[in-house]
Amino acid sequence: MQRRAFIRGLAATGIIGSGFGLSGFARIANAANSISVDQLPKLTGELTLYLGRGEGGLYENVLQAIQDRNPGFKLNIRRGATAALANTLIAEAKAGVKRADLFWAVDTGSIGVVTDAGLAKPLPQDLIQQLSPGFQYPLWSPVTGRIRTLPYNTDRLTAAEIPDSILALADSDVKIGWAPAYASFQSFVTAMRLLEGDKVTKDWLKAINGKAKKYAGELGVVMGVERGEVDIGFANHYYTLRLKAGKPDASVSLAYTNNDAGCLVNASGIVALSDGELPVNFIRYLLTKEVQSYLASEAYEIPLVSDVASPPGLQDLSTLNPPELDLRKLADLRPTINMMRSIGLL
Amino acid sequence: MNKISKKVVVLLAVFSATISMKANANGEISEHVNNLSAHLTEYAEEVTWLSDKFSGVVNEYSKKGKADSDQLIEFWEEVDFHSAIETQYVPVYATIWQGIYGVKVAIDSGEKAAVVEAELLKLKQALWQGLGAVKLAAQYQQKGLVPKVMTTEQEPTTGPEVIDDIKKKLHRVVAKYAEKLTEVATTLVHDTYLQRFEGIEGALIELDAELVEDLEKDFNVTLPQAISKDTSVDNVRAVVETMQVKLDKARSLLVKAEESRKSVF
Repeated sequence: MQRRAFIRGLAATGIIGSGFGLSGFARIANAANSISVDQLPKLTGELTLYLGRGEGGLYENVLQAIQDRNPGFKLNIRRGATAALANTLIAEAKAGVKRADLFWAVDTGSIGVVTDAGLAKPLPQDLIQQLSPGFQYPLWSPVTGRIRTLPYNTDRLTAAEIPDSILALADSDVKIGWAPAYASFQSFVTAMRLLEGDKVTKDWLKAINGKAKKYAGELGVVMGVERGEVDIGFANHYYTLRLKAGKPDASVSLAYTNNDAGCLVNASGIVALSDGELPVNFIRYLLTKEVQSYLASEAYEIPLVSDVASPPGLQDLSTLNPPELDLRKLADLRPTINMMRSIGLL
Repeated sequence: MNKISKKVVVLLAVFSATISMKANANGEISEHVNNLSAHLTEYAEEVTWLSDKFSGVVNEYSKKGKADSDQLIEFWEEVDFHSAIETQYVPVYATIWQGIYGVKVAIDSGEKAAVVEAELLKLKQALWQGLGAVKLAAQYQQKGLVPKVMTTEQEPTTGPEVIDDIKKKLHRVVAKYAEKLTEVATTLVHDTYLQRFEGIEGALIELDAELVEDLEKDFNVTLPQAISKDTSVDNVRAVVETMQVKLDKARSLLVKAEESRKSVF
């Protein structure tokens, strides 16, 4: 069954708190049209946003554009690592201090920390419905998504030759490239531990380690694949798409596994921490057709509202089948790091 | 104008990002660093004082064959000139630390007096070069060409600002390594990669993927190995200087790309 929702993985999360068991990507096409910025009310007043580091410059461009469009609106921004900001919010709440009105996080785990602490304000139904049905949550709004992929060398392999199981790759003859020290890879291994168990994951890591070429980062993996140093690698989708954007004839394409950690998804998202219309209306700006298109075309992130094109080069999202997983658990990397160290990977 | 001063001119001329300094291992950086001109006499006195004190330690070693080399660090950490050069021109700051440890290690290793004195000469040269750099920075500061030193953390926002910040942090890596704070230096490399470089590499991939891959290797392999192998400050500095050249190229690419980027609305 290939057409389960991409975002089903998020369905299992306690973050969501609402129906997520149906389709995600598959239902985007059936969702209501996205809203243009021209349909939104002007923002008036002042907000403080805690912004987790991500595509720094491009997020900043979005925030500046929103302020430029709303002369009566002032946005104070505190920037930092997403997890650290989440912890700050918790600490501030415990101390009875409230400084932030919004929290824009680059990963779902940090959003879970904040929503679990009871800091998130419910979002109105009309905002939730701007997102496609599979992406609708009462306490936070996804902004964009990303997916784990298998970049492969198109001169050496065809998509049909690539196993659709991440575990099966350990038994295949393909030459593999990976970046064990890379944070995204460690999140992927954490997902595998949660989905398959520690023993299976450890055995898989050992098997891959016996045959894989190690790179410093995941762009390096994609470049190694493109140069033919390895046949296939593990990386987030945007490295390959951005490489192809700069080098259209690059000998690399993307393959996807089926219902396992190899096609793990994660999302950036935003939480309203204050009551009132202003924080909610600010979130509406991030969900406009214009902002979603901008982040898809400039940052190669996956838009999560209807009728906005995905980044070019990404497979039809309705055909992807990511695993069900509580992404909040990805926040704790320590058991993964310990496992990887125990077999000499780090 | 000596070589170092020329470097300072180049540095200040392109200095666009806000300097952000937090409390460091040597204590809080106080407001004098934002009013250098008013303190130049004091800095000059301190450099003379340091020179005399360092000479005193070396003279004692030459006469008695032993000396308390830890005093070298204590003297250096006493002076305001320390934070003046640290905030204005980290490369010379690193050279001063390198000089201090050059003398200290020579003493602790029981080297001949001539060897220790040769190290002292290098240290004194670094001190006076540092004073020259601070004097030049004071002139630029008076003309409003040097951003105010912030005593609280402030994050860069645009791609070029991030590159500028990365370059400064890499200079600090050399400085921390020269201070023999190897773990601090390694952590700084790691944090700079995760908290800064990762945020801009996406945009850079489209522009020059090989340059990004090269820098990834520098951040994750070459520089950490240069630090962990404990070779020399010059070796670590050489790696950083190579990275700075690549980062300059990256900065130019990002500036051009941003000029042609489409607007959000």
